[in-house]
Amino acid sequence: MAGAGAGPGGETLLRVRGLRMRFAGGTAALDGVDLSVGPGELVIVLGSNGSGKSTLLRCISRLLHPTGGEILVAGQNLSRLEGAALRRARQALGMIFQHGNLVRRRSVLANVVSGSLGRHPGIRTSLGLLPAGEVPAALGYLREVGLEHLAQRRASTLSGGQAQRVAIARALAQRPRLLLADEPVASLDPEAAEEIMRLLRRLAKEDGLGVLCVLHQPELAVRYADRIVGLQHGRVLFDQPAGELAEAPIDRLYEAKTQAQAA
Amino acid sequence: MSDETFTTLGTRERGLAAAAGFRSRPSLLQFLLLFAFGALVVQTLIVVEARPQDLITGVSGMADLLARATPPDWSRLPDALWPALETVDIAIFGTVFAVLLAAPLAILAAANVTPARPFYYLARGIIALTRAVPDLVWALLFVTAVGLGPFPGALALAVHSVGMLGRLFAEVVEDMDMGPVEALTTTGASRLQVFTHAVLPGVLPSLLGISLYRFDENLRSSLVLGFVGAGGIGFQLLTAMNLFQYRTVSLLLIIVFVLVMSAERISALLRARVA
Repeated sequence: MAGAGAGPGGETLLRVRGLRMRFAGGTAALDGVDLSVGPGELVIVLGSNGSGKSTLLRCISRLLHPTGGEILVAGQNLSRLEGAALRRARQALGMIFQHGNLVRRRSVLANVVSGSLGRHPGIRTSLGLLPAGEVPAALGYLREVGLEHLAQRRASTLSGGQAQRVAIARALAQRPRLLLADEPVASLDPEAAEEIMRLLRRLAKEDGLGVLCVLHQPELAVRYADRIVGLQHGRVLFDQPAGELAEAPIDRLYEAKTQAQAA
Repeated sequence: MSDETFTTLGTRERGLAAAAGFRSRPSLLQFLLLFAFGALVVQTLIVVEARPQDLITGVSGMADLLARATPPDWSRLPDALWPALETVDIAIFGTVFAVLLAAPLAILAAANVTPARPFYYLARGIIALTRAVPDLVWALLFVTAVGLGPFPGALALAVHSVGMLGRLFAEVVEDMDMGPVEALTTTGASRLQVFTHAVLPGVLPSLLGISLYRFDENLRSSLVLGFVGAGGIGFQLLTAMNLFQYRTVSLLLIIVFVLVMSAERISALLRARVA
């Protein structure tokens, strides 16, 4: 796996080492996961339900506190940070959720602008007073995802695909170096799903962002990923370039689940 | 589902159907529950000494009261305006201060956002205590503490409403969509930024709706509080009844009706706008 996760200059944006997550009650969701993502690289994580995919992303973004291991983002160890230091470090990570997680009562523009809050700490921004430059910047990100014309629309009126693109624009407003996408196409129709995957690939290839994306669809993974990581029972089963990956390892990934269901 | 349909089912299917709530005939438990409910209603009739015949014999007395209460004494209208304003202001004061106290209390009392368990139990305790004591009892306590007038009434409504609003606010916060909160947390936003940009926009319409409904309730309560000396038009109403000034009573009741209906209408319109 030489060179996996390293960018053109040998730079690694995300390096996860021995990541472990054990929930109260003793369930080990992650059991020593190692992976890395470089600039301009789209890495897709596959695995059946309960394999630890979402837990992995939630640990990396520190929505969950991992019980062991290291999360190095641009050289900084996120797993040991707390408070203001963690908030500053999080700015490098844009997170996209399965259902967009927009504030449904606010406008599309307000949702996108809120992505920049981390860069402007303080009381003024808590009261909604943001630097004027954030509005044209947010419109620019909306243009990038093809939704500038919907800036004034209420988020609750968007379709699933549109909401997901707004969520991506919000993550871009953060000016991150790495995007984490947790099943971003799970609730979308095939056409919208393709659009989101094309967009994520474009952000990796044209803007140089590292993208770590959790998916349930192996066929999309094979078509869009640079590398595919297979996760099973909280462990990495394989980590290979998409072009070199045979069908067998992917089948093996879902085999245990199918057998368990059949039993 | 008919009996025939059930007899065609096997044991396993019958068990599944029963578990899903389908039965061919009422169960013994359902019969017992129905009987228990009937017994509950019958004992209330005994305990409250229900005498329907008294309603019929009391009609003439009611008619006499109505005759003496009409027409309303409109000449007393100017004197009734200040107490009417007092009543409205008692309700506004009680609602505004209750909202200001209930909002932070609700954050502490909501299991999903409370900063620590001891704060949760403390806030839940305060909410339970202020709710459990009726506003009329609070008014009696405050009349004893600060004397007669609208102020004890306003305090009574504020304290009682803290409990009512605190519980409802906490439920709204507990039921809110945590998705946007997580999304903004991962952008590196501070707790305060997450609160103002994700929590508040999500829950504010519900909180406003509940507060307006509470104002509506408080206006009705403030009328009754006057009966224990806590100011407002209720106090005027009690005085007029004690002095057998029934034409003044009818005027005051018309004012009460107008106030309550107006508050209800305005509150409903505003609630519809923020929904």
